[in-house]
Formats: sequence, C-alpha cells, structure tokens
Amino acid sequence: MASEVNYNKAFEHYKHLSLFWTDLIYLMASKPQSLTATGPMRKFATNAKKVTTELIESNQDLIEFNTRLAEYYKQLSDTWIESQKQVSKKMPDIPQDAEQLDSYKRVWIDIFENYFTQLFDSKKFGENYGKLVSSELELSKHWNDMVNTLLESADLPSKKEIDEIYKELQQLRRRVSKLEKEPVKKVVENTNAE
Amino acid sequence: MQSESGISPKIIEEFLKFNRNIIDAPNHVPAPDEINLGITPHDVVYTEDNIRLLHYKPLTQKQAQIPLVITYAIINRYHILDIQPEKSWVRNLLQQGIDVYMLDWGTPSNLYKYLGFDDYVNGYLDNSLDFVRDEAGVEQVSLQGYCTGGTIATIYSSLHPEKIKNLVMTAPVIDGWRDTTVVSNLTKHIDVDKMVDTIGNVPPEFMYYCFSLLKPFEQGVDKYINFFRNIDNQKFVDSFLRIEKWVSDTPPIPGELFRQWVKDIYQENLLIQNKMYVGGRQVSLENITMPIFTQVAVGDHLVSPECSMPLHYSVASEDKTLRVYPSGHVGMIASSFSQKKILPELGKWLIERS
Repeated sequence: MASEVNYNKAFEHYKHLSLFWTDLIYLMASKPQSLTATGPMRKFATNAKKVTTELIESNQDLIEFNTRLAEYYKQLSDTWIESQKQVSKKMPDIPQDAEQLDSYKRVWIDIFENYFTQLFDSKKFGENYGKLVSSELELSKHWNDMVNTLLESADLPSKKEIDEIYKELQQLRRRVSKLEKEPVKKVVENTNAE
Repeated sequence: MQSESGISPKIIEEFLKFNRNIIDAPNHVPAPDEINLGITPHDVVYTEDNIRLLHYKPLTQKQAQIPLVITYAIINRYHILDIQPEKSWVRNLLQQGIDVYMLDWGTPSNLYKYLGFDDYVNGYLDNSLDFVRDEAGVEQVSLQGYCTGGTIATIYSSLHPEKIKNLVMTAPVIDGWRDTTVVSNLTKHIDVDKMVDTIGNVPPEFMYYCFSLLKPFEQGVDKYINFFRNIDNQKFVDSFLRIEKWVSDTPPIPGELFRQWVKDIYQENLLIQNKMYVGGRQVSLENITMPIFTQVAVGDHLVSPECSMPLHYSVASEDKTLRVYPSGHVGMIASSFSQKKILPELGKWLIERS
C-alpha cells in the first residue's frame, strides 16, 4: 500500500516535471520558431506536448496491461499445477511400454483438457481476459494518437480523417446500391399491377 | 529390462521412432503452400467489391431445377466445403444432381470496416441471389448457411422469404446465451465497441487466439503427435495438411459486422428473441415459413448444438427437419461420415423439394 502511494507520488512528480518543461520550452521557443512556420518541425513542436502526454498516459496503461498479463499467466500456471497433480494421482507409475505410454497420454490430455476448459469457461478468466484486451486497446489508442500527431506535422491525413472518408464511401455505396435497385423494383411493381 | 535411467528401452525406442518421423517429415509430405484447396471446377460468375460468387460445373447430365447457394462463415474460408475430392461437400451435392453456387466473402481491407449485417444480407447476399435467380431462370433458390454463414442466411430468409425455396442450416450461430463453448464466455467480457473503434477490422490473430482455447490439448498437442506418428500414412497426412492450411487462413472480419455479431448474437441475444434489426427492419424468425433442414453435431466445440437447435423450434415452417449427428464442427462437413451419412440425407431432402 505504502509503495503504491510512493509510486503515485513519484509518477505525479514525473508527469508534472515533463509537462512543465515541455510547456515552458514551447512558450520560450515558439516565437523565433515562427520563422519556420511552413516546415514540419514547427508543427511538431506545437504538438510535442500532446506526444509527451500520450507517452506518460501510455505508461499508466502499460502497468495495467502488465498486471492483467501477470494474472493471465498465473491462472494458466495454477491450472497447470492442479492438472498435473491430478494426473500424478491417477497415473502414479512411469509408463513401461508403448501401450502404457498411450494410455498415460490419453489421461494427461483428458485431465488437462477438462481443467483448462473449466478455466477458460470461468468468470474470473473471462473478466481478466476482457480487461487484458481492454488495456491493450488503450495502448493502441495512445499509439494511434501519437502517430496522428506526427502525420499532422507532415500535413498528412490522420487516421480519424481517413476513417471519415471510409465511412462516407460506405454510405455512398449503400445509396448507389439502393438507387440501382429502385428502377428494378418499380418495373416489378408495375408488372404486378398490370 | 530397464535402462540405467530407469526408463524402459521400449519407451526410448518409441521416442526415437517419433523423433525419426519428425526429421523425415519433409521427405514424406508437401509444404502447406504447395497444396491447393477448393479443387472442384467452377466459374466466378458474379463479383462485387471483395466478394465472389462461384458456380460449380455440373457432374451429372440432369440437374435439379432449384439451385443451391451456400453462404460460408465470415471466419476462415469456403475451402472447407471443397477440401479434397473424396471429402468434398460441394462435389457430393453435384454428384447428386444439385446445381451448386458458393459465396466467397473475400478479404476485407480497412476500407470495408464499416460493413455490417445490412451490407452482407441486403447487399452482397441479396444481389448474389438475384443474379442466381436470373441466371437459373427461377423465382426462388435453396440457401444453405454454415456456422456464422448460417446467421446471415437466417436473417436473409426472415427479411426476404419470397426468394427462398428451401433453407439448410448447418451448425448456425443463433442463440448466443445457450452456447456452451468458450467463445461464448470470451465474447461476454469483451468491450467490443472499444475494440472496433480502436482497431477497425478484427485481425485473424484474434480469432486464432480464440480457437486456441477450444480443446487446447487435443488440438494443440495430441493432433500434432498423431500427425508425426502417422507420417507414413499418405491419406491421413494429406487430409491433415489440408485442414491445417484451412484453419490457418482466416481473413480479417469487418469491424462493424463483428460489433453487431458479438452484441446482437452473443451479448444481447437479439436474434432468437426476434428483436434484432438489420437495415432498419426487424428480423423475425416467424417470417421463416419455407422448408428448413437444420444440421447440428453433438461434438461441435465451436458452435454448440444448444446454440443452433433453437432455430428449429422458433421458425414458422411446417416442413422442418432437425438432424443431430455424432460428429464435430468440421467433421460434419468434411469427413467420410458426412459423405456416407449426412450428404445423402441432405441431397435427398433437397431433390424432393427442388
């Protein structure tokens, strides 16, 4: 508990320190940099704070991801130990020929299959897995945001802008498809009416 | 006699033989890349965006009047229905005199991440069926859906019943809350909105991970031990590699479609409750009045029979048949058992109604 408090304090201090210097350097340097207003570095300097913030926040999500990953492997490892105990209880002797080896393998697979399927079907596994994926997605979001900043610096469309185009294209395609079907529908309706 | 280590020489001999088989494997079997899947001759008769409609060349002089269109799942590819001549679902139906078409959903790029059920059902599938009806000169066709393709075929048959003569459902994903597989547990705990909004299309690797949790030791350990043990058995090895190649070839799933699939089928279970909306229209299973043949497998570890069977009891069809086979998800469509038992039954059922 105490170590967590210390960690949070250190984290906040580090965050404040980074943002303080990023902001201050930006304020001090932005006017002379205006000379290079058309180049990529000017835009990048403007957005540097965003990148720093994303980096800091992604560290927090990385901690959550590692916690979930550790829990994931703990669940697997606990289940493995339990399964192996069960196998040893059921088949205490070392197999002596191919037949015995086959039946040992059968029992081993059956028991491991049962225990692991129970684990994968359990609420605790599902919840941890869901949070693990979620923290991974948070990391992806930060990564996307940082890349978007770089893209904007190079006057290239961001992922969000490309997504909007994809969406627009999709809507247009649907409208065209409906319009194409419309005359056929009308012909069928007219034929039926006659 | 025991060796100094206390391990029986017979066991050591067994291990050495197994190791020899692993080393010799490349001399006995082709590389997966050298194997061609989807071998029955066909023409591509219709394309739209990424999708292709395949029309198989007839193998009999006389064919049933009503063609059969197969909608494959959105996971993996259609090849499993034509995996090798002696286990080909398609070839068997052709040999019974059925005119077979198959939809290949293709590989959606990021451009197609906004495609949803509406696009698949009222767009691609509807356009393909219109093409088939026109080409075959018929008002209605038979429709078969396998796995998640069964979900698409069910929705279609509810929204466009006038175009469907017969409906064949093979392990369809229908009642998500009754599904007893691990997939159901995972989908309940995934923040699907966050996933789709962040990454768009769902990558194949995500699906491979989900598959790896289904029978992890039989599929991840035992299967490969059997493969190397049977490396001299040409038939076994050929069949094994074909299935392996198919399993490892999953296209990305359009993000929007995945979102609707997880939410509407697994999380909120709307389809079976007649509460699902596609393209602004309510999907009611009571609209399904055509003859329906539902096939499920007792050992299905991907779509449990409990997930598929409710369809049989929810449709309004008077002519309905439910078959429960002692098989698995893949075994039901690509095995000697399906050739001998399942397909003759299905062929007879279709021809009687075509």
